[in-house]
Amino acid sequence: MKILIVEDEHALYESIFAYFTGEGNICEHAPDFDTASEKIELYSYDCILLDLGLPGGEGLDLLSKLKKSNKKDGVLIISARHSLDDRLSGLDLGADDYLVKPFHLSELKARVSAIVRRKNFDGDNVIKFNEIKVDVSARKITVNDNSFTLTKKEFDLLVYFLSNKNKVVTKNAMAEHLWGDEMDLSDDFDFIYTHVKNLKKKLAEAGANDYIKSVYGIGYKFTDA
Amino acid sequence: MKLSTHYNRVNILTSSVTLIITGVIYYFFIHLILTNKLDKDLAVEENEIRQYTHTYQKLPLPATYLDQQVSYRQSPGNSNDIREFNNTTYLNQKENEQEPGRSLVTTVNLKGQNIQVTITKSRVESEDLVRVILLITLGVTLILLVSMFIINRFILSRLWMPFYNTLKRMKSFEVTKMEALSRDTTRIDEFIELNQSVNAMADRVKQDYRELKSFTDNASHEMMTPLAVINSKLDSLLQSEPFTQQQGTLLEDIYQATGRLSRLHQSLLLLAKIENNLITDAQEIDLKDLVESKVRQFQELFEKDILTIEVRLSNKTVVMSRYLADIVLNNLFSNAVRHNLHGGRIVIELSETALVISNTGKNFNEKERLFDRFSKSNESEGLGLGLAITKQVCNLYGYQITYQQINGLHIFSVFFKS
Repeated sequence: MKILIVEDEHALYESIFAYFTGEGNICEHAPDFDTASEKIELYSYDCILLDLGLPGGEGLDLLSKLKKSNKKDGVLIISARHSLDDRLSGLDLGADDYLVKPFHLSELKARVSAIVRRKNFDGDNVIKFNEIKVDVSARKITVNDNSFTLTKKEFDLLVYFLSNKNKVVTKNAMAEHLWGDEMDLSDDFDFIYTHVKNLKKKLAEAGANDYIKSVYGIGYKFTDA
Repeated sequence: MKLSTHYNRVNILTSSVTLIITGVIYYFFIHLILTNKLDKDLAVEENEIRQYTHTYQKLPLPATYLDQQVSYRQSPGNSNDIREFNNTTYLNQKENEQEPGRSLVTTVNLKGQNIQVTITKSRVESEDLVRVILLITLGVTLILLVSMFIINRFILSRLWMPFYNTLKRMKSFEVTKMEALSRDTTRIDEFIELNQSVNAMADRVKQDYRELKSFTDNASHEMMTPLAVINSKLDSLLQSEPFTQQQGTLLEDIYQATGRLSRLHQSLLLLAKIENNLITDAQEIDLKDLVESKVRQFQELFEKDILTIEVRLSNKTVVMSRYLADIVLNNLFSNAVRHNLHGGRIVIELSETALVISNTGKNFNEKERLFDRFSKSNESEGLGLGLAITKQVCNLYGYQITYQQINGLHIFSVFFKS
């Protein structure tokens, strides 16, 4: 997928760029309002990561400009502003999602993937990984054409893993993804372990390979390597 | 008391007193002047009688005119040189009735004999004059009072209309709405000035509000950006496998501290926002529904510590920000989980009047500082801001939150506004 990262903080852009590059993804960078405006006008992207406070202008203006010219690019707002007004006006203007800084790169990737899937496949929202096939909109999963059921949390967890293939995902990020970051969870995420264990068990029973690897107790990695 | 009532009272009282005093002074002065004039006339008459007596050596005839009588009488021996003015009554022979009069009693010397002379003049005219003046004064007083009452009643209230309009607008003024306060046109200078000042004040308040809002936004932005960088760099670092077990542990510690820092920061910003009333998305919320979904959301956490959950909910809707309602429930729930015993119990009750969450837990003694910022037990993993935020939200909506410890149960109750 082709992604435009509109972000003035260079260090943050670099991390996002490094995390997203690979697997045929192309990332472009716009560090300020004018560059972003120009790129949005000239090219089209699968998803635009839009920071709201930009040198030279407001990110929301870029968004309304984009929507006025009838472009179909997905837009994910990444903002440090935790204000409800901004969130609402962003979504009103037609942004697909809103993520508050600081965020986990894995969360960002999961959300961008969800937006791109929705945009590109017109309802046929399916992720394939070797023998595993996940229909996200119908919430169905098949392994080698054997379909079986997962709980809501297990399903969300699997989609999260699939969006972050070959990446180490922390338990912290997984907990926030499944329960929301407002929950002020304790720092002990051992209960994640139960969900991962159940998911692994169900996948194995359906005949899938064991792709979920534990990484030094800090998190997990979904990989066939 | 209304300004107009107060003004009316003072105004009518002072005008009545002033008019009455003026009337009294009028009466006395005119009375005095008229009496002086009568006395002068009497003195002229006396003088004429003296000259006549001196020239002709006999008394003039005791004549009776329309309003004047003269009478003589042998003076009692030793009453030499009597000369005094008196108010008397005399018989008006023409109209045959008693009338008030002014008399001068004096003595003239005729051939060695002292003759007492009494000259009396009618006072009727002067009395009439005084009465007319008094009546006019009273009439004017009455007319003045009535007209003042009418003016106050009808004109004043119309005059003060712009003031009351401005007052009404000030009452319904909301800082979050960016509208001008009063555009009323009035020709009264004071009200024009008032409107201008009120508008200027509202502008200043709005300006302050905007500055505060932008400060909160900027502070949030400025602090969140480095945090976001740290977080993303950690995520990147994590991808640079392989690393040792020890490095893994270090990474996890840094993750936790960073997560804690950003939660802390968000909580502080949230507190500031609630205190400054910057959260305005109040809406009707089905609290029963929200509590039920929260129970589902916390299911894993309950299971982890093998907690028994009792839920007794009745229907209840509240009007508040959904975001804040969520935060309050999160805080109370995670509090009940965090400070619970392994295999303990949580009771959640929702009634028309209150939401009560009780949990088993260790004995706890710092009840006074419970809702203070950064007050927490040593072993707590929380930030120490959850209950402070909860309390602040309750204050915002006029709810009352209390804490009790009964039979080993820690009970938090939120009483809704009745």
